[in-house]
Amino acid sequence: MMPSGKMLPVMLAGGIVTVILGFVLVVLLISWFSNPPFGLGNAPAQPVAFPHTVHVAQNNIQCEFCHRNVTKGEAATVPALETCLFCHKDIDGSTETAKVEIEKVRTAFDTNEPINWERVHRLPDHVRFIHEAHLRYFTDEDILVKYGINGEEITQTPDVAQTCTICHGDVANKTEVQPKTGQSLKMGTCLDCHRANSVPTDCTVCHK
Amino acid sequence: MVTQRIDHKWGMVVDLDRCTGCQACVVACQAENNIPINTKEYFQQRRAYEWIRIERYWEGEFPNVKAKFIPILCQHCENAPCEPVCPVFATYHNDEGLNVQVYNRCVGTRYCSVNCPYTVRFFNYWEPQWPDRLRNQLNPDVTVRSRGIMEKCSFCVQRLRRGEVNVERRGLDTLTGQSIPVAERKLNHRQMKEGNYLPSCVQACPTSALQFADQHDETGPVKSYFDEANGHIETREAGGHVNEEETRVYRLFEEVGTKPNLIYLKKVEPFPVEKA
Repeated sequence: MMPSGKMLPVMLAGGIVTVILGFVLVVLLISWFSNPPFGLGNAPAQPVAFPHTVHVAQNNIQCEFCHRNVTKGEAATVPALETCLFCHKDIDGSTETAKVEIEKVRTAFDTNEPINWERVHRLPDHVRFIHEAHLRYFTDEDILVKYGINGEEITQTPDVAQTCTICHGDVANKTEVQPKTGQSLKMGTCLDCHRANSVPTDCTVCHK
Repeated sequence: MVTQRIDHKWGMVVDLDRCTGCQACVVACQAENNIPINTKEYFQQRRAYEWIRIERYWEGEFPNVKAKFIPILCQHCENAPCEPVCPVFATYHNDEGLNVQVYNRCVGTRYCSVNCPYTVRFFNYWEPQWPDRLRNQLNPDVTVRSRGIMEKCSFCVQRLRRGEVNVERRGLDTLTGQSIPVAERKLNHRQMKEGNYLPSCVQACPTSALQFADQHDETGPVKSYFDEANGHIETREAGGHVNEEETRVYRLFEEVGTKPNLIYLKKVEPFPVEKA
Protein backbone atom coordinates (compact mmCIF):
# COMPACT_ATOMS: atom_id res chain seq x y z
CA MET A 1 0.00 0.00 0.00
CA MET A 2 1.40 3.35 -0.97
CA PRO A 3 1.45 5.95 1.82
CA SER A 4 -0.90 8.83 1.34
CA GLY A 5 0.43 12.28 0.40
CA LYS A 6 -0.22 13.60 3.87
CA MET A 7 1.96 10.98 5.52
CA LEU A 8 5.02 11.53 3.31
CA PRO A 9 6.54 14.53 5.14
CA VAL A 10 6.05 12.84 8.51
CA MET A 11 7.75 9.69 7.29
CA LEU A 12 10.56 11.74 5.81
CA ALA A 13 11.10 13.60 9.08
CA GLY A 14 10.99 10.32 11.00
CA GLY A 15 13.56 8.83 8.68
CA ILE A 16 15.93 11.77 9.06
CA VAL A 17 15.65 11.71 12.85
CA THR A 18 16.35 7.97 12.87
CA VAL A 19 19.43 8.41 10.68
CA ILE A 20 20.79 11.23 12.89
CA LEU A 21 20.18 9.34 16.14
CA GLY A 22 21.67 6.19 14.66
CA PHE A 23 24.74 8.09 13.54
CA VAL A 24 25.23 9.60 17.01
CA LEU A 25 24.80 6.19 18.61
CA VAL A 26 27.33 4.58 16.27
CA VAL A 27 29.85 7.35 16.92
CA LEU A 28 29.43 7.00 20.69
CA LEU A 29 29.76 3.22 20.55
CA ILE A 30 32.87 3.34 18.39
CA SER A 31 34.52 5.95 20.59
CA TRP A 32 33.73 3.94 23.72
CA PHE A 33 35.06 0.63 22.47
CA SER A 34 38.00 1.79 20.37
CA ASN A 35 41.65 1.67 21.41
CA PRO A 36 43.38 4.75 20.15
CA PRO A 37 45.08 4.88 17.74
CA PHE A 38 44.10 1.48 16.39
CA GLY A 39 40.34 2.03 16.19
CA LEU A 40 38.34 -1.07 16.98
CA GLY A 41 41.15 -3.38 15.94
CA ASN A 42 44.27 -4.53 17.69
CA ALA A 43 47.78 -3.23 17.43
CA PRO A 44 49.52 -4.02 14.13
CA ALA A 45 52.15 -6.76 14.08
CA GLN A 46 55.52 -5.84 15.53
CA PRO A 47 58.53 -5.75 13.20
CA VAL A 48 60.13 -8.45 15.35
CA ALA A 49 57.88 -11.07 16.90
CA PHE A 50 59.06 -10.64 20.48
CA PRO A 51 57.60 -13.28 22.83
CA HIS A 52 57.29 -12.07 26.40
CA THR A 53 56.51 -15.69 27.32
CA VAL A 54 60.03 -16.90 26.57
CA HIS A 55 61.79 -13.94 28.14
CA VAL A 56 59.70 -13.41 31.26
CA ALA A 57 57.77 -16.58 32.03
CA GLN A 58 60.45 -19.09 31.07
CA ASN A 59 63.68 -17.20 31.67
CA ASN A 60 62.55 -14.93 34.52
CA ILE A 61 63.96 -11.69 33.21
CA GLN A 62 62.66 -8.79 35.29
CA CYS A 63 60.54 -6.11 33.62
CA GLU A 64 62.92 -3.32 34.55
CA PHE A 65 65.91 -5.12 33.04
CA CYS A 66 64.70 -4.22 29.56
CA HIS A 67 62.24 -1.39 30.30
CA ARG A 68 65.02 0.35 32.18
CA ASN A 69 63.47 3.75 32.68
CA VAL A 70 60.35 2.42 34.37
CA THR A 71 61.70 2.95 37.88
CA LYS A 72 63.50 6.14 36.98
CA GLY A 73 61.25 8.29 34.87
CA GLU A 74 57.99 8.94 33.13
CA ALA A 75 58.11 6.55 30.21
CA ALA A 76 58.93 2.86 30.64
CA THR A 77 60.91 3.00 27.37
CA VAL A 78 61.59 0.25 24.88
CA PRO A 79 65.10 -1.20 25.25
CA ALA A 80 67.93 -0.18 23.01
CA LEU A 81 69.32 -2.81 20.63
CA GLU A 82 72.41 -3.06 22.81
CA THR A 83 70.23 -4.41 25.60
CA CYS A 84 68.95 -7.17 23.30
CA LEU A 85 72.46 -7.97 22.10
CA PHE A 86 73.63 -8.23 25.70
CA CYS A 87 72.19 -11.74 25.65
CA HIS A 88 71.59 -12.39 21.99
CA LYS A 89 75.16 -12.09 20.84
CA ASP A 90 75.47 -15.55 22.36
CA ILE A 91 71.92 -16.91 22.40
CA ASP A 92 70.75 -18.07 18.99
CA GLY A 93 67.28 -19.33 19.83
CA SER A 94 65.99 -22.86 20.07
CA THR A 95 63.49 -23.00 17.20
CA GLU A 96 63.82 -22.10 13.54
CA THR A 97 61.37 -19.17 13.80
CA ALA A 98 63.20 -17.82 16.83
CA LYS A 99 66.50 -17.93 14.96
CA VAL A 100 65.02 -15.88 12.13
CA GLU A 101 63.68 -13.24 14.51
CA ILE A 102 66.92 -13.00 16.48
CA GLU A 103 68.84 -12.65 13.24
CA LYS A 104 66.65 -9.60 12.45
CA VAL A 105 67.78 -8.00 15.69
CA ARG A 106 71.44 -8.67 14.97
CA THR A 107 71.15 -7.33 11.44
CA ALA A 108 69.54 -4.17 12.79
CA PHE A 109 72.37 -3.79 15.24
CA ASP A 110 75.02 -4.33 12.58
CA THR A 111 73.44 -1.88 10.17
CA ASN A 112 72.82 0.73 12.88
CA GLU A 113 69.13 0.86 12.11
CA PRO A 114 66.74 0.93 15.05
CA ILE A 115 63.72 -1.34 15.13
CA ASN A 116 60.48 0.57 14.68
CA TRP A 117 58.39 -1.04 17.39
CA GLU A 118 54.68 -0.37 17.28
CA ARG A 119 53.53 1.42 20.38
CA VAL A 120 50.71 -0.53 22.02
CA HIS A 121 49.74 1.40 25.14
CA ARG A 122 49.18 4.98 24.20
CA LEU A 123 47.79 7.78 26.35
CA PRO A 124 46.42 11.01 24.91
CA ASP A 125 48.71 14.03 24.63
CA HIS A 126 47.04 15.88 27.50
CA VAL A 127 47.70 13.16 30.08
CA ARG A 128 50.78 13.04 32.24
CA PHE A 129 51.53 9.55 33.53
CA ILE A 130 54.71 8.90 35.48
CA HIS A 131 55.56 5.19 35.71
CA GLU A 132 58.19 5.79 38.37
CA ALA A 133 55.77 7.47 40.78
CA HIS A 134 53.27 4.64 40.58
CA LEU A 135 55.92 1.96 41.00
CA ARG A 136 57.39 3.79 43.93
CA TYR A 137 54.01 3.96 45.61
CA PHE A 138 53.14 0.30 45.17
CA THR A 139 56.58 -1.02 46.08
CA ASP A 140 56.89 1.17 49.17
CA GLU A 141 56.99 -1.08 52.21
CA ASP A 142 56.08 1.72 54.60
CA ILE A 143 52.59 1.90 53.17
CA LEU A 144 50.92 -1.09 54.76
CA VAL A 145 47.68 -1.30 52.80
CA LYS A 146 47.30 -0.37 49.18
CA TYR A 147 44.34 -0.89 46.92
CA GLY A 148 44.18 -2.26 43.40
CA ILE A 149 42.14 -0.78 40.61
CA ASN A 150 39.01 -2.72 41.55
CA GLY A 151 39.34 -1.70 45.19
CA GLU A 152 40.86 -4.99 46.35
CA GLU A 153 43.30 -4.75 49.25
CA ILE A 154 46.97 -5.37 48.57
CA THR A 155 48.50 -6.21 51.93
CA GLN A 156 51.71 -7.80 50.73
CA THR A 157 54.03 -5.27 49.12
CA PRO A 158 54.29 -6.23 45.45
CA ASP A 159 57.55 -6.23 43.57
CA VAL A 160 58.01 -4.31 40.35
CA ALA A 161 56.72 -7.09 38.10
CA GLN A 162 53.57 -7.59 40.17
CA THR A 163 52.93 -3.86 40.11
CA CYS A 164 53.17 -3.82 36.31
CA THR A 165 50.46 -6.48 36.05
CA ILE A 166 47.99 -4.25 37.90
CA CYS A 167 47.54 -2.15 34.77
CA HIS A 168 49.19 -4.11 31.97
CA GLY A 169 47.77 -7.52 32.79
CA ASP A 170 49.74 -10.74 32.69
CA VAL A 171 52.25 -9.70 30.05
CA ALA A 172 54.56 -12.53 31.07
CA ASN A 173 52.24 -15.12 29.54
CA LYS A 174 51.44 -13.24 26.35
CA THR A 175 53.19 -13.96 23.09
CA GLU A 176 51.80 -10.71 21.71
CA VAL A 177 50.99 -7.63 23.76
CA GLN A 178 47.71 -6.03 22.80
CA PRO A 179 45.84 -3.03 24.20
CA LYS A 180 42.99 -3.56 26.65
CA THR A 181 44.11 -7.02 27.71
CA GLY A 182 45.05 -5.46 31.02
CA GLN A 183 43.17 -2.33 31.95
CA SER A 184 41.40 -0.19 29.41
CA LEU A 185 43.55 2.80 30.46
CA LYS A 186 40.55 5.09 30.27
CA MET A 187 40.26 7.96 32.71
CA GLY A 188 37.74 5.99 34.78
CA THR A 189 40.32 3.33 35.63
CA CYS A 190 42.78 5.98 36.77
CA LEU A 191 40.15 7.63 38.93
CA ASP A 192 38.95 4.34 40.48
CA CYS A 193 42.47 3.55 41.62
CA HIS A 194 43.22 7.10 42.76
CA ARG A 195 40.02 7.18 44.81
CA ALA A 196 40.64 3.75 46.33
CA ASN A 197 44.11 4.82 47.45
CA SER A 198 42.99 8.31 48.59
CA VAL A 199 45.36 9.95 46.13
CA PRO A 200 44.39 13.44 44.92
CA THR A 201 42.01 13.51 41.99
CA ASP A 202 42.59 17.13 41.10
CA CYS A 203 42.59 17.60 37.31
CA THR A 204 46.09 19.06 37.29
CA VAL A 205 47.55 15.94 38.91
CA CYS A 206 47.25 14.10 35.61
CA HIS A 207 46.18 16.61 32.99
CA LYS A 208 48.76 19.00 31.72
CA MET B 1 50.88 9.31 51.83
CA VAL B 2 49.84 11.79 49.24
CA THR B 3 46.69 12.37 51.24
CA GLN B 4 48.65 14.39 53.76
CA ARG B 5 49.38 17.07 51.27
CA ILE B 6 50.69 20.25 52.70
CA ASP B 7 48.16 22.96 52.15
CA HIS B 8 49.53 25.35 49.58
CA LYS B 9 48.27 28.64 48.33
CA TRP B 10 50.51 29.91 45.60
CA GLY B 11 50.83 33.57 44.89
CA MET B 12 53.04 36.08 43.20
CA VAL B 13 54.37 39.49 44.11
CA VAL B 14 55.15 41.89 41.28
CA ASP B 15 57.46 44.69 42.33
CA LEU B 16 56.87 47.44 39.78
CA ASP B 17 59.83 49.39 41.12
CA ARG B 18 62.11 46.66 39.87
CA CYS B 19 60.42 45.96 36.54
CA THR B 20 62.45 47.36 33.65
CA GLY B 21 60.07 46.17 30.96
CA CYS B 22 62.68 43.90 29.40
CA GLN B 23 60.10 41.27 28.32
CA ALA B 24 62.26 38.35 29.45
CA CYS B 25 59.20 36.93 31.25
CA VAL B 26 57.18 37.14 28.05
CA VAL B 27 59.77 35.20 26.09
CA ALA B 28 60.25 32.64 28.85
CA CYS B 29 56.52 32.04 29.07
CA GLN B 30 56.20 31.73 25.31
CA ALA B 31 58.91 29.09 25.23
CA GLU B 32 57.80 27.16 28.30
CA ASN B 33 54.11 26.86 27.56
CA ASN B 34 54.04 26.01 23.84
CA ILE B 35 52.34 29.27 22.98
CA PRO B 36 51.89 29.75 19.24
CA ILE B 37 54.03 32.36 17.54
CA ASN B 38 52.23 35.69 17.40
CA THR B 39 52.35 37.24 13.98
CA LYS B 40 51.58 40.79 12.97
CA GLU B 41 48.16 39.69 11.77
CA TYR B 42 47.38 38.14 15.13
CA PHE B 43 48.07 41.46 16.85
CA GLN B 44 46.10 43.46 14.29
CA GLN B 45 43.12 41.19 14.82
CA ARG B 46 43.69 41.43 18.59
CA ARG B 47 43.92 37.68 18.78
CA ALA B 48 47.52 37.41 19.98
CA TYR B 49 48.36 34.94 22.73
CA GLU B 50 50.22 36.49 25.63
CA TRP B 51 49.86 34.61 28.88
CA ILE B 52 51.99 37.33 30.41
CA ARG B 53 52.28 40.73 28.82
CA ILE B 54 54.05 43.96 29.69
CA GLU B 55 51.81 46.99 29.46
CA ARG B 56 53.62 50.26 28.94
CA TYR B 57 52.36 53.64 30.02
CA TRP B 58 53.89 57.03 29.33
CA GLU B 59 53.68 59.64 32.02
CA GLY B 60 54.33 63.37 31.78
CA GLU B 61 55.03 65.77 28.95
CA PHE B 62 58.21 65.91 26.90
CA PRO B 63 61.00 66.32 28.03
CA ASN B 64 59.86 65.07 31.44
CA VAL B 65 58.62 61.71 30.21
CA LYS B 66 58.71 58.48 32.13
CA ALA B 67 57.79 55.01 30.97
CA LYS B 68 55.95 52.76 33.39
CA PHE B 69 55.73 49.05 32.92
CA ILE B 70 53.32 46.62 34.44
CA PRO B 71 53.44 42.86 33.79
CA ILE B 72 49.95 41.41 33.60
CA LEU B 73 49.19 37.72 33.78
CA CYS B 74 46.34 35.61 35.09
CA GLN B 75 45.64 36.91 38.58
CA HIS B 76 44.46 33.51 39.89
CA CYS B 77 41.58 35.25 41.66
CA GLU B 78 40.01 33.76 44.74
CA ASN B 79 36.60 34.95 43.52
CA ALA B 80 37.36 34.34 39.89
CA PRO B 81 34.73 35.78 37.56
CA CYS B 82 35.69 33.29 34.86
CA GLU B 83 34.77 30.24 36.91
CA PRO B 84 31.01 30.46 37.48
CA VAL B 85 30.26 31.27 33.85
CA CYS B 86 31.83 28.14 32.40
CA PRO B 87 29.04 25.79 31.35
CA VAL B 88 31.27 22.69 31.38
CA PHE B 89 33.32 23.34 34.54
CA ALA B 90 36.50 23.58 32.50
CA THR B 91 37.92 26.26 34.74
CA TYR B 92 37.90 25.87 38.47
CA HIS B 93 39.88 26.60 41.59
CA ASN B 94 41.99 23.79 42.95
CA ASP B 95 43.12 23.27 46.52
CA GLU B 96 46.51 24.84 45.85
CA GLY B 97 45.03 28.23 45.08
CA LEU B 98 45.47 27.89 41.34
CA ASN B 99 42.85 28.86 38.84
CA VAL B 100 43.01 25.84 36.57
CA GLN B 101 42.00 25.58 32.94
CA VAL B 102 41.23 22.02 31.89
CA TYR B 103 41.83 21.96 28.15
CA ASN B 104 40.13 18.68 27.39
CA ARG B 105 36.93 19.83 29.04
CA CYS B 106 36.79 23.20 27.32
CA VAL B 107 34.23 23.52 24.54
CA GLY B 108 35.16 27.08 23.58
CA THR B 109 32.16 29.15 24.60
CA ARG B 110 34.51 32.07 25.46
CA TYR B 111 32.25 33.24 28.30
CA CYS B 112 35.22 33.17 30.64
CA SER B 113 37.32 35.50 28.53
CA VAL B 114 34.38 37.90 28.28
CA ASN B 115 33.97 37.87 32.02
CA CYS B 116 37.66 38.28 32.87
CA PRO B 117 38.36 41.89 33.90
CA TYR B 118 42.09 41.46 33.26
CA THR B 119 41.76 40.09 29.69
CA VAL B 120 44.29 37.36 30.33
CA ARG B 121 42.40 34.52 28.70
CA PHE B 122 43.14 33.66 25.09
CA PHE B 123 41.12 31.73 22.62
CA ASN B 124 42.67 29.52 19.97
CA TYR B 125 41.10 30.84 16.81
CA TRP B 126 43.45 28.72 14.72
CA GLU B 127 45.19 25.40 14.92
CA PRO B 128 48.60 26.37 16.34
CA GLN B 129 51.46 26.02 13.91
CA TRP B 130 55.19 26.18 14.28
CA PRO B 131 57.92 26.13 11.67
CA ASP B 132 59.38 22.65 11.31
CA ARG B 133 62.65 23.61 12.92
CA LEU B 134 60.81 24.77 16.04
CA ARG B 135 58.64 21.71 16.51
CA ASN B 136 61.31 19.89 18.47
CA GLN B 137 61.54 22.68 21.04
CA LEU B 138 57.94 22.17 22.20
CA ASN B 139 57.70 21.40 25.88
CA PRO B 140 56.53 17.79 26.31
CA ASP B 141 55.09 18.63 29.73
CA VAL B 142 52.54 21.03 28.28
CA THR B 143 49.68 20.17 25.97
CA VAL B 144 49.56 21.81 22.58
CA ARG B 145 46.14 23.41 22.67
CA SER B 146 44.13 22.77 19.56
CA ARG B 147 41.76 25.10 17.83
CA GLY B 148 38.64 26.16 19.72
CA ILE B 149 40.09 26.01 23.23
CA MET B 150 40.57 28.72 25.80
CA GLU B 151 43.99 28.96 27.39
CA LYS B 152 45.67 31.06 30.04
CA CYS B 153 48.52 31.25 32.52
CA SER B 154 48.65 28.13 34.69
CA PHE B 155 51.37 29.35 37.08
CA CYS B 156 53.42 26.69 35.25
CA VAL B 157 51.62 23.85 36.98
CA GLN B 158 53.71 21.38 34.99
CA ARG B 159 56.76 22.70 36.83
CA LEU B 160 54.96 22.16 40.12
CA ARG B 161 54.38 18.51 39.24
CA ARG B 162 57.93 18.14 38.00
CA GLY B 163 59.18 19.69 41.22
CA GLU B 164 57.09 17.28 43.27
CA VAL B 165 58.62 14.36 41.41
CA ASN B 166 62.09 15.71 41.96
CA VAL B 167 61.60 16.40 45.65
CA GLU B 168 59.59 13.36 46.66
CA ARG B 169 60.89 10.63 44.49
CA ARG B 170 64.34 11.43 43.29
CA GLY B 171 65.33 13.45 46.31
CA LEU B 172 66.71 16.27 44.22
CA ASP B 173 66.23 19.93 44.77
CA THR B 174 65.04 21.21 41.41
CA LEU B 175 66.96 24.43 41.39
CA THR B 176 70.20 23.54 43.11
CA GLY B 177 70.28 19.91 41.97
CA GLN B 178 71.46 18.86 45.41
CA SER B 179 70.35 15.72 47.15
CA ILE B 180 67.67 15.93 49.83
CA PRO B 181 68.10 13.72 52.94
CA VAL B 182 66.11 10.50 52.68
CA ALA B 183 63.99 11.28 55.73
CA GLU B 184 62.68 14.45 54.11
CA ARG B 185 61.75 12.82 50.83
CA LYS B 186 58.49 11.29 52.02
CA LEU B 187 55.40 12.92 50.69
CA ASN B 188 54.02 13.77 54.09
CA HIS B 189 57.23 15.55 55.06
CA ARG B 190 57.68 17.17 51.75
CA GLN B 191 58.28 20.82 51.44
CA MET B 192 57.33 22.19 48.10
CA LYS B 193 58.57 25.68 48.48
CA GLU B 194 59.03 28.52 46.09
CA GLY B 195 62.63 27.34 45.69
CA ASN B 196 61.55 23.98 44.34
CA TYR B 197 58.89 25.39 42.11
CA LEU B 198 59.21 28.55 40.07
CA PRO B 199 57.11 29.58 37.09
CA SER B 200 59.30 30.25 34.09
CA CYS B 201 58.60 34.00 34.09
CA VAL B 202 59.83 34.28 37.67
CA GLN B 203 62.92 32.28 36.90
CA ALA B 204 63.68 34.43 33.87
CA CYS B 205 63.19 37.80 35.56
CA PRO B 206 66.65 39.41 35.76
CA THR B 207 65.72 41.98 38.38
CA SER B 208 63.57 39.69 40.56
CA ALA B 209 60.60 41.95 39.94
CA LEU B 210 58.44 38.83 39.92
CA GLN B 211 58.58 36.82 43.10
CA PHE B 212 56.74 33.60 43.64
CA ALA B 213 55.77 32.21 47.02
CA ASP B 214 53.50 29.98 49.02
CA GLN B 215 51.22 32.27 50.98
CA HIS B 216 50.92 29.67 53.74
CA ASP B 217 54.67 29.48 54.16
CA GLU B 218 55.35 31.44 57.34
CA THR B 219 59.03 31.89 56.56
CA GLY B 220 58.49 32.93 52.96
CA PRO B 221 60.39 36.00 51.78
CA VAL B 222 57.32 37.91 50.66
CA LYS B 223 54.96 36.79 53.38
CA SER B 224 54.67 40.31 54.79
CA TYR B 225 53.36 41.65 51.48
CA PHE B 226 50.67 38.99 51.34
CA ASP B 227 49.73 39.72 54.94
CA GLU B 228 49.47 43.39 54.18
CA ALA B 229 47.33 42.81 51.10
CA ASN B 230 45.02 40.44 52.97
CA GLY B 231 44.79 43.02 55.73
CA HIS B 232 43.57 45.56 53.17
CA ILE B 233 40.82 43.23 52.06
CA GLU B 234 39.70 42.68 55.65
CA THR B 235 39.74 46.39 56.36
CA ARG B 236 37.69 47.14 53.28
CA GLU B 237 35.21 44.35 54.00
CA ALA B 238 34.76 45.73 57.50
CA GLY B 239 33.93 49.09 55.95
CA GLY B 240 37.23 50.68 56.88
CA HIS B 241 39.48 52.85 54.78
CA VAL B 242 42.95 52.01 53.53
CA ASN B 243 45.23 54.97 53.07
CA GLU B 244 46.84 54.19 49.75
CA GLU B 245 49.48 56.88 50.20
CA GLU B 246 51.01 54.89 53.01
CA THR B 247 51.28 51.48 51.42
CA ARG B 248 52.91 50.08 48.31
CA VAL B 249 50.75 46.97 48.19
CA TYR B 250 47.76 46.87 45.88
CA ARG B 251 45.91 44.46 43.65
CA LEU B 252 44.56 45.08 40.19
CA PHE B 253 40.90 46.14 40.14
CA GLU B 254 40.63 45.64 43.86
CA GLU B 255 37.19 47.28 43.86
CA VAL B 256 35.81 44.47 41.65
CA GLY B 257 36.24 42.07 44.55
CA THR B 258 38.00 39.26 42.68
CA LYS B 259 40.65 38.86 45.40
CA PRO B 260 43.61 38.08 43.13
CA ASN B 261 46.51 35.97 44.36
CA LEU B 262 48.83 38.34 42.54
CA ILE B 263 49.82 41.48 44.36
CA TYR B 264 51.60 44.47 42.95
CA LEU B 265 54.00 46.83 44.70
CA LYS B 266 53.78 50.43 43.62
CA LYS B 267 56.66 52.13 41.90
CA VAL B 268 58.64 54.33 44.25
CA GLU B 269 59.04 57.76 42.73
CA PRO B 270 62.03 59.62 44.18
CA PHE B 271 61.63 62.31 41.51
CA PRO B 272 57.97 62.36 40.53
CA VAL B 273 57.04 63.80 37.17
CA GLU B 274 55.78 67.34 37.57
CA LYS B 275 52.13 67.58 36.76
CA ALA B 276 51.57 70.12 34.03
